[in-house]
Amino acid sequence: MTADVTLEGVNHRFGDFDALRDITLSFDAGEFVVLLGPSGCGKSTLLFILGGFLEPRSGTVKIGGQDMAGVAPKDRPTTTMFQDYALFPHMSLRDNVGFGLRMKRQSKAKRNARADEMLDLVGLLDKARAKPHELSGGQRQRVALARALAVEPEVLLLDEPLGALDLNLRRQMQEELKAIQRKVGTTFIHVTHDQEEAMAIADRIVVMNAGQIEDQGRPEDVYLRPKTLFSANFMGDINRLPNTLAKASGTTAACVRPENIGLSGEIALGDATLESSAFFGTYHRCHFRIAETTYVAHLPIGALPEPGATVPLFASNPVLLEMPE
Amino acid sequence: MRALSWIYIGAIFTFIFLPVVVLVLFSFQDSRLPVPPFNGPSLKWYTQVLNDRGLMEALTNSLLVALVSAAVALLLGFFAAQGLARIRLPGSVLMRGLLIAPMTVSYLIIALGLLSMFNDLGFRPSLWTTGVGHVVINVPLCFAILFASMGDHQKNAERAARDLGAGEVQVLFLVTAPMLKPALLAAYFLSVTFSWDEFIIAFLLTRFDVTLPVEIWSMLRSGLSPATNAIGSLVFLVSIAILFLLEFTVFRKPRA
Repeated sequence: MTADVTLEGVNHRFGDFDALRDITLSFDAGEFVVLLGPSGCGKSTLLFILGGFLEPRSGTVKIGGQDMAGVAPKDRPTTTMFQDYALFPHMSLRDNVGFGLRMKRQSKAKRNARADEMLDLVGLLDKARAKPHELSGGQRQRVALARALAVEPEVLLLDEPLGALDLNLRRQMQEELKAIQRKVGTTFIHVTHDQEEAMAIADRIVVMNAGQIEDQGRPEDVYLRPKTLFSANFMGDINRLPNTLAKASGTTAACVRPENIGLSGEIALGDATLESSAFFGTYHRCHFRIAETTYVAHLPIGALPEPGATVPLFASNPVLLEMPE
Repeated sequence: MRALSWIYIGAIFTFIFLPVVVLVLFSFQDSRLPVPPFNGPSLKWYTQVLNDRGLMEALTNSLLVALVSAAVALLLGFFAAQGLARIRLPGSVLMRGLLIAPMTVSYLIIALGLLSMFNDLGFRPSLWTTGVGHVVINVPLCFAILFASMGDHQKNAERAARDLGAGEVQVLFLVTAPMLKPALLAAYFLSVTFSWDEFIIAFLLTRFDVTLPVEIWSMLRSGLSPATNAIGSLVFLVSIAILFLLEFTVFRKPRA
């Protein structure tokens, strides 16, 4: 089951803090959307509004064409996978996963069968009788996913679900999440502040800041052709080129990703001195200096000049961005 | 050093338990006074105590008051804790303080207050008024225990249950209460024991249908007798039984 989601002019305030300002967005059915932004940007607030845990001050939320105003979480076609998993500690995994079906008054046999099917999907069928406290963090996370998907929601909301996992496990779970989403076809709306995670899993990234949408698009669009300086900065390092070199003027500036700075390219930056470098496995991260400006460049393996050497530096694919005053 | 610490432990336990041991020992006394030398053992005082209609009535009254007043206190404490933990109200800190404050007031003062209030309202002292008194002293206890064990963890699980389609009643019975089970049982049994032991309120707020501590007190007025030791031992036995029950059910660590 899957449904599209539209938000129109959604505003929310906590006291005198504007958590969301005039958010208008729409997601296609079956899309894997990531809401990305720093803490306090409103991404979790938006998720909670979709889940029905918060009622927006103004604006409309539609899921599958249905207006969600005044619809309680339990009556929405959404389920949420919470940041701390929120498993029921006194129930076995099977009962945890079957809880939503129990609320829908399905027979015990039916819901156990469905629970086992979901546990199998996340690879935990052999632990169906275990209690949550017997599991590792990654396993609990999988149970939370199975529980949220067992009721066949049209939209699954994920609130920083991978935040508590260590890096390796996080990468692995990202792949699993993506594979499971492909399999079940449900619309996934995932909140995170980790831009690498966003790029790894999203069909579409929505970058948020201070309660507003800064940018949205496919991961490669948001990364390579960001619409705002904030979005460019949040997705990774950027170098700002002097206006004399690029076709920029006034309040716009040309910005270039570190991997687009190198020893050859379209725009000659001039002779640069290598100040420092570090090895990152697949590239060398280098700091070059030209006069008063420092450039960050990712050079391919084997292309590293001697420390302190002066080499001609080039940039390619600059993006023109509006500079805030 | 090691020997010293053993001696210290022995001294502490002697200090704590010697009176109880003496009480229990002389309940088996064969002669008419619970003082050395010890003659016996004999079960005759137990026979006498168990056949004493007044005492057995008082014991039943005590059990009734303890079980019912603890249940009422638990229910009220739970609602208060759940409400104050979940909903932000203006002055909720003050409300929390007011709910816990009676713990610091002596039972004598509470009893006096209740006595004059019931007098003004025209209620005669009875088991009911005693029960109300015990609810008054146990609500703060139940509230404090339950409020302390309601964390974000609990709140999030309740939210997840609602998200999965549970109504408020289902959330209460399938998530909140089972998650709070250890705290609920601890609060209930502590309330039962406090009510079971309580003397001053029961003394001032009962007249004819007295509770066990009041009955024991009136027995003591006619002097020491192994019979009071016997009933004391029985009371002690009940407390120990509750303690073991708690230890083996509520506080047992789940097998990892």
